[in-house]
Amino acid sequence: MKLTRREFGVLAGAVGVGAASAKVSFASGGGKVVVIGGGAGGATVARYLKKDAPELDITLVEVQKQYTTCFYSNLYLGGYRTLDSITHSYSKLSDEYGVNVVHALATGVDGNAKTVTLETGDVLSYDKLVLSPGIDFRWDLIEGYGPEAAQVMPHAYKAGVQTQILKQQLEAMPAGGTVVIAPPPNPFRCPPGPYERGCMIANYLQKNKPGSKLLILDSKDKHSKMALFQDAYNNIYGDIVEWVAAEFTDGGVKSVNTADMTVTTGDGEVTKVDVANIIPGQKAGLIAEIAGCTNDSGWCPIVPETFESRLVPDVHVLGDASIAAAMPKSGFSANSQAKVVANAVRASLTGSKAFPPRFRNTCWSLISDDNGVKVGASYKAGEEKVEKVDGFISKVGEDDAVREQTFAEANGWYDAITADMFG
Amino acid sequence: MKKLTPLAALTVSVCLSSLAMADDVYDYGEYLSGECTTCHRLTGEYNGIPGIVGLEEADFIEALTDYASGERENQAMASVAKSLDKEMMEALARYFGAQEVADEEIEEQGAAEAEPENKD
Repeated sequence: MKLTRREFGVLAGAVGVGAASAKVSFASGGGKVVVIGGGAGGATVARYLKKDAPELDITLVEVQKQYTTCFYSNLYLGGYRTLDSITHSYSKLSDEYGVNVVHALATGVDGNAKTVTLETGDVLSYDKLVLSPGIDFRWDLIEGYGPEAAQVMPHAYKAGVQTQILKQQLEAMPAGGTVVIAPPPNPFRCPPGPYERGCMIANYLQKNKPGSKLLILDSKDKHSKMALFQDAYNNIYGDIVEWVAAEFTDGGVKSVNTADMTVTTGDGEVTKVDVANIIPGQKAGLIAEIAGCTNDSGWCPIVPETFESRLVPDVHVLGDASIAAAMPKSGFSANSQAKVVANAVRASLTGSKAFPPRFRNTCWSLISDDNGVKVGASYKAGEEKVEKVDGFISKVGEDDAVREQTFAEANGWYDAITADMFG
Repeated sequence: MKKLTPLAALTVSVCLSSLAMADDVYDYGEYLSGECTTCHRLTGEYNGIPGIVGLEEADFIEALTDYASGERENQAMASVAKSLDKEMMEALARYFGAQEVADEEIEEQGAAEAEPENKD
């Protein structure tokens, strides 16, 4: 007979068995956690905390009322997914798990008073703060590019409206047009992202806009899954895509002109474009800087074992905003780190067991119809940083059946991870 | 509550301590399962990724061991399986074995998909 945990607990309680737990003094009641950012990191932390310690008071601050995943947004650009199919509600987190979801912008953090201030003027107190704010852009890196320019030359690197703008521009472009992608310098969110986007846009152009060209003006000389993507650019999209390393343009795109629709690279060459996807260099989401958690790099140093901030006590930072290398900045990584953070926060507030951390990442990319590739690794918490333990990557020349299975896996992962995040 | 005789008390405490150990295994499995549910649905369905819910513990452990050895081929699962020691595999087998597949349709689908494809 298998005793359910609840039955065991009742039995144990009847004879007084049970671990005594150290009590901590709380801001109120059973311990208050504020999570800022409702993406792959934040939503996961909120759900896992409420799932495993329902007595805790968990508030999730996320300005957007629905969440469009940045991962799989390239598939929307390629016509493989609707935007609706990659957009998720917070209602299960609030209604089924009891997370207090607040749709407002967090504008201030006081690490001493342990409070978060919202744009509305409301103040939230916390025992533990979790920051998972994703990225913000280094607008200073490309002349003529900023939030206004992004309405004309979208980055589409925060999913939702920006992705829709880019998709609509591609649809409106006449056949024979020129599209440019300007991938960012390291480190940035989703290393394979701009290159999967190259495949997805090329695929769309190949099917819908004959004679069109896609120019990828990189700020780097190398990129993630390089052999796999370059194989696609040369052999599947050979008459559409040209990828240009930074060394040939003296650093990639350095300035843009949204009135003329031109981009200019470091060597001074001006290119007229119909559609420009400019992805600037990045830094931690602004609230992390406001909270005092960033260093000179613009990202947040953390303790690998728990992802606690090295700079502000009782604050954890995870996901893209954190310095988690060797882990890449990805949704999968954020979800993995979130579980380590939830375990550590729960242990700290309730005296429950803090298990040793485990970290993993797998990134799937879609190259063309039923043609998926992947790269991934397992990681561990080293003294100074997160360290890679082993890794794997798809191979050029794999047969169609393997690529088809890899894509099928990616779809299964998407359903599972979004259920893991949002319930 | 009636006071237990010494023998009864001993019996109860032995039972409870083995249950406590069983609960520790389950709890460990539940913690570790967070790594699995990123890809494998807790509802147990197959969607490009096999269902792992409600399996016999020995079969669950055998599947992981086969991935670690390369007997079953999948790069992601090889990486996962190699990162798990025996205690972890047992804990996961315990936890997932105790979960219930969401509905009959998924259970039938899972049984059909359970045969490994790449055994040579």
